[in-house]
Amino acid sequence: MIPKCYLFIPFLPLVSFVFNMLFGKRVLKDKAHLVPIVAVSGSLFFSFVVLIYVLFGNLVNEDLYTWVKSGDFKVSIGFLIDELTAVMLIVVSTVSLLVHVYSIGYMHGDERYSRFFAYLSLFTFSMLMLVMSNNFLQLYFGWEAVGLSSYFLIGFWYEKKSASDAAKKAFIVNRFGDFGFGLGVILLFITFGTLHYVPIFSDVELIKGQVFSFLGMDMDVATLIALLLFCGAVGKSAQLPLHTWLPDAMEGPTPVSALIHAATMVTAGVFLVARANPIFSLSPTALTVVALTGGITAIFAATIALVQNDIKRIIAYSTISQLGYMFVACGVGAYASGIFHLYTHAFFKALLFLCAGSVMHAMSGETNIQKMGGLKEHMPYTYWTMLIASLSIAGVPGFAGFFSKDDILWRAFASGTFTGKFVWFLCTVGAMLTAFYTFRIIFLTFHGTFRGTKEEKKHLHESPQNMTMPLVVLAGGSVLAGYVGIPVILGGNEWFSEFLSPVVGYAEGHGGHLAEFIVMLLSVIVAGFGIYGAYYIYLKRIDIANSAKETFKPIYNILYGKYYVDELYEYMVQRTILRFTKYVIEKVIDSWIIEGIVNGVPAAIGWLSMKVRRVQTGVVGHYSLAMALGFFVLTIMIVFKIWN
Amino acid sequence: MLNQIIFGYFAVTMISLALIVITRKNIMHSIVYMLILFFHIAGLYLFLNAEFLAAIQIIVYAGAIMVLFLFVIMLLNLREELRKSRFAITWPIGAIFVVLSAVMIIISVFGNRFANVGNVKISDIEKVGHTVAVGKLLFVEYLFPFEVASLILLVAIVGAIVLAKKEIK
Amino acid sequence: MQVPDLIPVVPEILMTILVLSLLVIDLFIKQKEYIAVYTVVGSLLVIISVFYCTGVTFKGMFVADSYSIFFKMIFLINVIFAAIISVEYLKKRASLYGEYYVLLVFATIGMMIMASAGNLIVLYLGLELMALSTYVLAGIIRTDGLSTEAAVKYFLLGAFSSAILLYGISLLYGITGSLDIREIGLYIAKEGIINNKLLLLGLVFFITSFGFKIAAAPFHMWTPDVYHGAPTSITAFMSVGPKAAAFAIFGRVFMIVFPALSGSWVNLLIPIAILTMAVGNIVALAQTNIKRMLAYSSIAHAGYALLGIIAASNEGLSAMMNYMLIYLFMNVGAFILVIMLNNQAKVGDSIHDYRGLSKSNPLAAFLMLIIMFSLTGIPPTAGFMGKLYLFMAVVNAGYGWLAVVAVIFSAISAFYYLRIVMFMFMNESIEEVKLSLVDVNGLLLIIVVFMVLFIGVNPQPFVELARLAIL
Repeated sequence: MIPKCYLFIPFLPLVSFVFNMLFGKRVLKDKAHLVPIVAVSGSLFFSFVVLIYVLFGNLVNEDLYTWVKSGDFKVSIGFLIDELTAVMLIVVSTVSLLVHVYSIGYMHGDERYSRFFAYLSLFTFSMLMLVMSNNFLQLYFGWEAVGLSSYFLIGFWYEKKSASDAAKKAFIVNRFGDFGFGLGVILLFITFGTLHYVPIFSDVELIKGQVFSFLGMDMDVATLIALLLFCGAVGKSAQLPLHTWLPDAMEGPTPVSALIHAATMVTAGVFLVARANPIFSLSPTALTVVALTGGITAIFAATIALVQNDIKRIIAYSTISQLGYMFVACGVGAYASGIFHLYTHAFFKALLFLCAGSVMHAMSGETNIQKMGGLKEHMPYTYWTMLIASLSIAGVPGFAGFFSKDDILWRAFASGTFTGKFVWFLCTVGAMLTAFYTFRIIFLTFHGTFRGTKEEKKHLHESPQNMTMPLVVLAGGSVLAGYVGIPVILGGNEWFSEFLSPVVGYAEGHGGHLAEFIVMLLSVIVAGFGIYGAYYIYLKRIDIANSAKETFKPIYNILYGKYYVDELYEYMVQRTILRFTKYVIEKVIDSWIIEGIVNGVPAAIGWLSMKVRRVQTGVVGHYSLAMALGFFVLTIMIVFKIWN
Repeated sequence: MLNQIIFGYFAVTMISLALIVITRKNIMHSIVYMLILFFHIAGLYLFLNAEFLAAIQIIVYAGAIMVLFLFVIMLLNLREELRKSRFAITWPIGAIFVVLSAVMIIISVFGNRFANVGNVKISDIEKVGHTVAVGKLLFVEYLFPFEVASLILLVAIVGAIVLAKKEIK
Repeated sequence: MQVPDLIPVVPEILMTILVLSLLVIDLFIKQKEYIAVYTVVGSLLVIISVFYCTGVTFKGMFVADSYSIFFKMIFLINVIFAAIISVEYLKKRASLYGEYYVLLVFATIGMMIMASAGNLIVLYLGLELMALSTYVLAGIIRTDGLSTEAAVKYFLLGAFSSAILLYGISLLYGITGSLDIREIGLYIAKEGIINNKLLLLGLVFFITSFGFKIAAAPFHMWTPDVYHGAPTSITAFMSVGPKAAAFAIFGRVFMIVFPALSGSWVNLLIPIAILTMAVGNIVALAQTNIKRMLAYSSIAHAGYALLGIIAASNEGLSAMMNYMLIYLFMNVGAFILVIMLNNQAKVGDSIHDYRGLSKSNPLAAFLMLIIMFSLTGIPPTAGFMGKLYLFMAVVNAGYGWLAVVAVIFSAISAFYYLRIVMFMFMNESIEEVKLSLVDVNGLLLIIVVFMVLFIGVNPQPFVELARLAIL
């Protein structure tokens, strides 16, 4: 058992949220970061304490407080701390603390400074509750709570229309996924009679082969539950086809993008799949869907990232692509590899975002990398840390990303199925694209000559220390985080997978060491190729970039237009559906049906309300008449028993 | 057979009287019919061998309450009242429901037995006398309701004072 | 002859002593606030005594069991709240002070007797004691025409319903030869006369008169006029106390006398419950006077609570009791703010008076927001918990569709409750309203809101309490 001190982990941020909401604006003002930072530091400290306990084999699974209990139905706040939770706690509280520190400099002087830190704390609390939950309902609440804090933070500068639109878009797109997730939770309760992880996972074998009949269709229960849960994951982790909200979410302050839309919240989908791995493992169909979704998203997002010019959007597409890798790992049954990549990705992706923030800080908010260049001299810290992050994400040997990405590629290759081989191929191509677009940012931003205005050039400066310090720490993480999972062929013992195996088991399928070595070599070669390609095009032969743009104009346009998915959705919703309904309603049934539905229901209730109100005449005789009428109807009913 | 005839007379007369009471234009006439109604109720009590109750009925209702009614009505000015319609315009609807409800009740009564149980037999009452029997029942068996009834009277007094007292400033 | 066991009646006796001493003290005391203090302290003592005085006495006519204790707790808390919120309100209206409190306590005694009634005569007398006191209370401001009108209407229709109840009692007596609730139930079960038409007719009489007291449609017509016309403090008192008392006898009579007939009365109560929820929620939408709106809301809440009776199970009964307790807090909370606005700014009757309240007094607006959330049934407030348990009881009784209907009506109720919230937070005030929470009413409001949140977050003890208290 772990002492109750683990409760400090989620509740310290909650306290700081309440405190900042109440006193932040009036009392603390520009010192509003103090309480949240102390609170999150506490969370981090206790996360390490918990990790040590878990390393010694102490686990927690208890209901702390039962809110509602009636028959089978039980709603409780409970905590499950196992190896998976411990890893997530470290990731969440580390990145959260660093982002808090970074925000001191980044948000300095904002008029809602204290409110920003309050929301950050609220998010941290919700995320920690999500990962520490011991039942699906609390997980669902945490899931919605992180969505809500994300909504607040994306739209933090709500005066900007694009920001409030992006917040709404994120919220609405997530509704689609969460609807499926909610249905999945309900189906879980119907199937198992409980929502707690432990009884569900221990009984999970019982539902093998059970079918669920709905509208005359028989569906495998395990597959259905797994796919419904995966719907939620697709929405939250911005996989195809619900990925459109994440790039837009970059309208939020950059620290938010680093914390929520790169390192933690968007990985909740991967966490969900890993957590529910006994259910997913029952259904090969569901696993195939997960793997294919991940693989296709990985390469899809990477191709878009190749040609974008907004620094944050490139990184956002990169995030979508990397999340795809994690789902690939889960889809081939290598949950530990997925979590491993989640863990290393949190460091280098948060670092990329924070560096981008630092660049934007220096460029007075400019995000177009075509207008940058040569920033290396002006901001050395940012340059070197961003370089480390890029090497890590590109999968250069020795950096954290190399270990985790290679692990995924090998597991996909070794899974022995056709799907596995196919997604391995997609991911390997994706790895090359990843290296290319990351170094495209590096070369366009930090090398070459400055392409902005004179005014901007004068303004260029390195960010203050409280912003560069987190960069350095994360750079350390981006290098070292991978060394907990060195593969066997490199003389390691895959300690990370070993550590997680009590929760997620071992990946199936094995191959020879030679094959593994070849896979690894191939990934390193394609990464090198990608980096060199970026170097050649954007540094050495700048003219090639433009001529290639002209030569491959159609492809370029498709990629630059993000495959026109947004336009497609807009077309589907606004043009097709709306126009169709408009046509049908206006021309065929006249406009009264739409009005009947949209305005009519409230209006009808209001009309009815006014009518029924007339009955209230104020005359006692009428009132007693109503009573007599009621009495008479009741006697008729009872004498003739009309309900028979 | 005689029993049935006598009961039938009382029942029919009482219902007719009650209807007459509520349909008179002149409230004085209503009061007089009500007095006759009360006498019939007393007669029904006598018919049930409850002489004491019959006496109480006449003394309390016919004696005290009716007289009070008469006083109040004489104090009020009733000329206005006479000119107005007696009923709300919806009275036929009300009448229909009352008649229909009565029909339902009559349907229900037929073919359903009553329990003919009673705790006290007539012979027992004759032995001790009616006053003693009623008194025992009221002050021993039904002591608690009796006390509650006294509270109700107290509320009535307080309420009457509250509603009738001159406004204090 | 032996003296009956008086221990179970001690709370009622204490209340009677309180009421009689109030009558006397009123003559000597100049500072009339002390009467309220005296009433509150006395009632608090009685609450304590309620828990110790249990048993059956007067040959089964008076039953002080856990069921009645639960309801007595509600009545006594209700009278304490009413006594506190009346102090300022009456001062502004220079009304009869002593008699007001006397009648409040009398009404409470009536409710307590109803909750404990083991005999139909006692039940009827308790009901009359309560009803007579509330008739007078409704009309206690004689200078106000609306108040007098309310009292007369309430009296006439109340007399009508009492007559119906008496008819029902006489039918039951005629069929079973007894007035004792338990004996009647045993007789019906023994004889197996569940298809006796006359008995079923008696059932209809009971439903009609109880329906009148709980304000169930179509017997609810008096409610809006009376709640609107009566002094606001009395409306707060009336919308919980008599309603809870009527639910107490509803539960006792139907679960003890008529359990064998549940197949019949459930079918009668379902349309009544639906109609009640419909009328309450739909007409409330059109109201602009907050007292009238709360009157219709109170009708709607009676409809929800009826679901607990419809479930015809211990679970449903305890859910209903729990709901009454929760309704006590949230309803009083809503009325306190109305009264405070009335006292301090001479406004508060129209829903438009709440525009922009969050600007002039954010705390008050926030407290009202929680109360409105609770009345709507939004978690984590007590109102959500109350509804959740009621709906679950109905679902477990096999009426899932009825729970769906109730949820739909709850959703409709959000329109008019949240409209107030919208006015408070989103609109500019028409005229500046100064409101201070620094007085006894404000303190009470904070306590009530705290309870609403506390029950919402921590419902288990209260649910357990209600579960232990069932018959």
